[in-house]
Amino acid sequence: MKIRSMKLREAHNNNGVSNYCTILWDRTAEHIVTASSSDVSISIHDALLPSVTARSLRNHKDGVNALAISPNSTLLASGSSDRSVKLYRFPGGEFESNISRFTLPIRSLSFNRQGTMLAAGGDDDGIKLINTIDGSIARVLKGHRGSITCIAFDPNSEYLASVDSVGTVIIWMLQSGTIIHTLKNIAPKTSSDFSTVTALGWSPDGELLAVSGLKNDVVMYDRDTAEKLFTLRGDHTQPVCFLGWSLNGKYLATSGLDKQVLIWDVDKKQDIERQKFDETICCLAWKPHGNALAVIDVMGKYGIWDMVIPSTMKSPTEGAPDLNSKKSDGLLFFDEEEHEPSISGSLSDHGEDSLVGSEPPSRKRVRHFINDEDSDDDMSSHPKVESRKRLNISSKDSTKNRNATSTGTAAAVTGSVMQEAFQSGSTPVQPDKRRFLCYNMLGSITTMKHDEYSHIEIDFHDTGSGPRVPAMTDHFGFTMASLNENGSVFANPCKGEKSVSTLMYRPFKSWANNSEWYMKFEEEEVRALALGSSWVAAVTNLNFLRIFTEGGLQRHVVSLDGPVVTASGFGDVLAVVTHSSPSLPSNEQMLQFEVFNVSNGTQPMKGRLPLTPGSRLTWFGFSEEGQLSSFDSMGVLRVFTNQYGGRWVPLFSASNLKKKDENYWMVGLNSSKLFCILCKSPDKFPQVVPKPVLTLLDLSIPLASSDLGAENLENEFILSNMHLSQIQRRIKETEALGQDAASLDDEALNSEAALDRCILRLIASCCTGDKLVRAVELVKLLSMEKSVRGAIKLVTAMKLPNLAERFNTILEERLLKQEAKETTPKETTHHKTEVDTNKPFTLPDTFKAPEPVNESPSVQLSSHSFVKKKKTEEPAKVAKVTEPKSTTKPENNGLVKNNINEVSQVQVQKKTNPFAKSSNNQEKASLLDSLKRMQKNDNAGNK
Amino acid sequence: MSGQSDSRGFTFSAAELEFLAEDEMIEIVPNLRIKPLSLICGDFGPFQPQIPTQVPIWLAVALKKRGKCTIRPPDWMSVEKLTLVLEAERDKASDFEALPFHYVEISRLLFDHARDDIPEVYMVRSLIEDIKDVRFHKISTGLEKVSSRTYAMKLNLSAMEVNVIRPFVTGSLETFYELGAPEIIQESERQEYRRPQTADRGPRRELRR
Repeated sequence: MKIRSMKLREAHNNNGVSNYCTILWDRTAEHIVTASSSDVSISIHDALLPSVTARSLRNHKDGVNALAISPNSTLLASGSSDRSVKLYRFPGGEFESNISRFTLPIRSLSFNRQGTMLAAGGDDDGIKLINTIDGSIARVLKGHRGSITCIAFDPNSEYLASVDSVGTVIIWMLQSGTIIHTLKNIAPKTSSDFSTVTALGWSPDGELLAVSGLKNDVVMYDRDTAEKLFTLRGDHTQPVCFLGWSLNGKYLATSGLDKQVLIWDVDKKQDIERQKFDETICCLAWKPHGNALAVIDVMGKYGIWDMVIPSTMKSPTEGAPDLNSKKSDGLLFFDEEEHEPSISGSLSDHGEDSLVGSEPPSRKRVRHFINDEDSDDDMSSHPKVESRKRLNISSKDSTKNRNATSTGTAAAVTGSVMQEAFQSGSTPVQPDKRRFLCYNMLGSITTMKHDEYSHIEIDFHDTGSGPRVPAMTDHFGFTMASLNENGSVFANPCKGEKSVSTLMYRPFKSWANNSEWYMKFEEEEVRALALGSSWVAAVTNLNFLRIFTEGGLQRHVVSLDGPVVTASGFGDVLAVVTHSSPSLPSNEQMLQFEVFNVSNGTQPMKGRLPLTPGSRLTWFGFSEEGQLSSFDSMGVLRVFTNQYGGRWVPLFSASNLKKKDENYWMVGLNSSKLFCILCKSPDKFPQVVPKPVLTLLDLSIPLASSDLGAENLENEFILSNMHLSQIQRRIKETEALGQDAASLDDEALNSEAALDRCILRLIASCCTGDKLVRAVELVKLLSMEKSVRGAIKLVTAMKLPNLAERFNTILEERLLKQEAKETTPKETTHHKTEVDTNKPFTLPDTFKAPEPVNESPSVQLSSHSFVKKKKTEEPAKVAKVTEPKSTTKPENNGLVKNNINEVSQVQVQKKTNPFAKSSNNQEKASLLDSLKRMQKNDNAGNK
Repeated sequence: MSGQSDSRGFTFSAAELEFLAEDEMIEIVPNLRIKPLSLICGDFGPFQPQIPTQVPIWLAVALKKRGKCTIRPPDWMSVEKLTLVLEAERDKASDFEALPFHYVEISRLLFDHARDDIPEVYMVRSLIEDIKDVRFHKISTGLEKVSSRTYAMKLNLSAMEVNVIRPFVTGSLETFYELGAPEIIQESERQEYRRPQTADRGPRRELRR
């Protein structure tokens, strides 16, 4: 027996400490995959070009103890001390999912022949059989007392063999999950540091199970009876720690703790080749098509031992059973794939007859998921596809089957798509991540899918006052939820035949026990939910709007006009959005909204819901004040107002902020701010962890950029105007109900003041921008008399006496009108005329006298107000704005004429004024200034 | 460093510096609703759940201790920013990177009180330690060659760093001053001689002692 030396190459730096390492070939023998339990990374080496630097996958947080490649080499699984089992695509190495989690480190992984099932075991007490397609746990096999160090599927998919660290081998029946044989203390115990493990492996034909024995040998057990058939004993001086069957089952490679690898001829029960190494070989793998063995030692060094079997003997691949006979798999530890000459293509067929295989629906789910992934890739190049993709994700499980078939076509058709139903404030399903079912200004409902149930948590933002709600285990698989102060409502779509769509309401505080309730829907499916004060609404796929009371009484069932998009509730009010007709070819959806008052049973509003062309509705709800609002995927917020007989007004547009790298995920709004969560592109929605933080954005109407350059002010102007009109409407409503509107009056006064401040600032900017006509228009809009005086003061300070004059006339008109209004009901007409005649006399006097001086208007104003106060008993509350333009009221006629006389008189005098002023103030103002002023005044006069 | 400042008032203690740093503003995300707080140092709030607001660190820490908020670490306390700063500090032998004046204290306060709010806290911590070490090293090497024309103060030194070098710099500058202008020193000495005489006039000084 010749002894050659082998050069090993470092794959993982183990820092001189013995650590368990793993090595695998892929099916085509192009790649070697290695991992070490001291290294977080998995290396994919090019078997043909070993000098090329290996690619490393660094997804684990702790050392990788186990690797497995699916038989068709499309999936790589890794198990780690960080207690997770991760799946990657192979050979690309893209991370696919965290397919399972354990509570303790994982030591062993194995795929079944079809690649549909992954067995994972470790320090936990059970072996999990995981469906590779959807990650569901098919079975947990419990029975081992120690850490499971090696798992092997029987090539015939009938049994599973596993060995633990105390030397017990258990053979399980896969179909039933029961223990068939327990062989205690037949294998050596594993070292405590797990630098080597006990190995076992089925022969490729499945007839023999090879287990390392206690006497430094390998013991062969019968497949069915688990009887000891024979042993391979030879040159090993210490226990065997790893073994691998050759493809044809003729040879067996064993590695011992005595740092040598022996090759056995199984038929002759004799060792035929030996190789000594510097360190213990902890893992080895036969090359799929060829006479070579890949080995890795406990130091993380790997190498390929070529020409293992002497050329005089049969090749290890010769006579390897082919796939169709179903007897091909030399199920070694981790390396089933090496015996698969061509398995691709037939995978799914085998999947169907796998024993504990996945059921068809779940496979569809994965296809759906993959489709999403694909469109995700497309997204970068085709922004239009993106909306559709979101649509698919946000669609609920209910539509999964449909999606699975329709996603492809949806992506292909360039025409428009009608969006699926959604809940505002929910985020799409993401594998192995918690997601929001509902996020609003009050709190959030999150869910996380586990194997057979989901884990639902309800959190309130305000931990001080919100009720504490215990977490909930959800066996229904709820995909929709809604939350308010009183309770939460959940619903799930129907999934297959077994589960029916269920609605659950869970109050947060109730005086009675067991006050949560369920509603089941046969042949019907909940699509949207809404929650209000003491009612719950659900819209189903039959376009039924069902309203329940808080206690679970079925109150109303109403048919809606079209398929539902979303629903939202606020107090007594329920708003539902439905499709009214198919989308236009220009990709504009036709949506309509209906508002119901649940307690009265009325429908106060109904109409079209506008959307930005080519966008979808992404949020629909109410502002804190109860105004109906919508947010679309283009980032435009619209609020329903009573303007023009009930219109949607765009109050925010993300494109106005000109921040391309941010997406706004809408949460809510109040009268002046928008609450949203900022998501950095390309993220469209927030993750549950880290806890998202709300960002406040100012509402900004998408205004045209005006020549004034004061968009902020103009924006504020329109907003406060709207705000004011809202308050006034509310006052009217409360007054109509005969209630006290005092607090609203205060609010109205405040907002009037705010509006006036804004107008004054606008006037100032108009003056600086030389837009005097606009300034005059603005003055007419001032609601308080005080503000008009302020405006006069302002323009005087800005040295625009011409404007000040005009403002004065406006003020006069306004005062006169007010007086006229107030005096007519209170005093006699005689009295009125007296007042009228009095006024024009006092006015010009005060006006004229201090004119040359700059402070003149203030003096004039104070006297003015004095006069006014004396004569009219002005109520404490400032009267509403009266349109100064509509002056021609019959009773005012004489007065106006009178006034005109006076005004013309004043104007004559004024024309001379600038001259007087300039001459008076010559020592102060420069000649140039005065000339300018003259010019201006002349111009104004000419106009 | 001692718990109390040194009696001549040359240096602050670490605790004192920390106290000063507590007036810096920081962003918190409250989880409860409180009306605006009107305090002597200003008005803070209103606090609304999940909506970030700016408060002084002392208030943030007080709220954090009661579990009423999460503290958002300042921008510069991210791993990327600190890595950049550390690299720049290492590259440039004489310049100091711009960090907040109280960066040592702020980071310390946050590590003590809001460790769960800082992403990658260990990394951040070690980076700040590294930056601190690099900077202190730079300062000490810089001080080895202090000349009369050293403008140590115009650099971006932080409170803690200034505090450490203050006794030495003032002392050495005084010495330079003495050596450079002996006649002025004499004058000042004379003034010192004079001072007790003036003090003798009133009994107040005696009383204070």
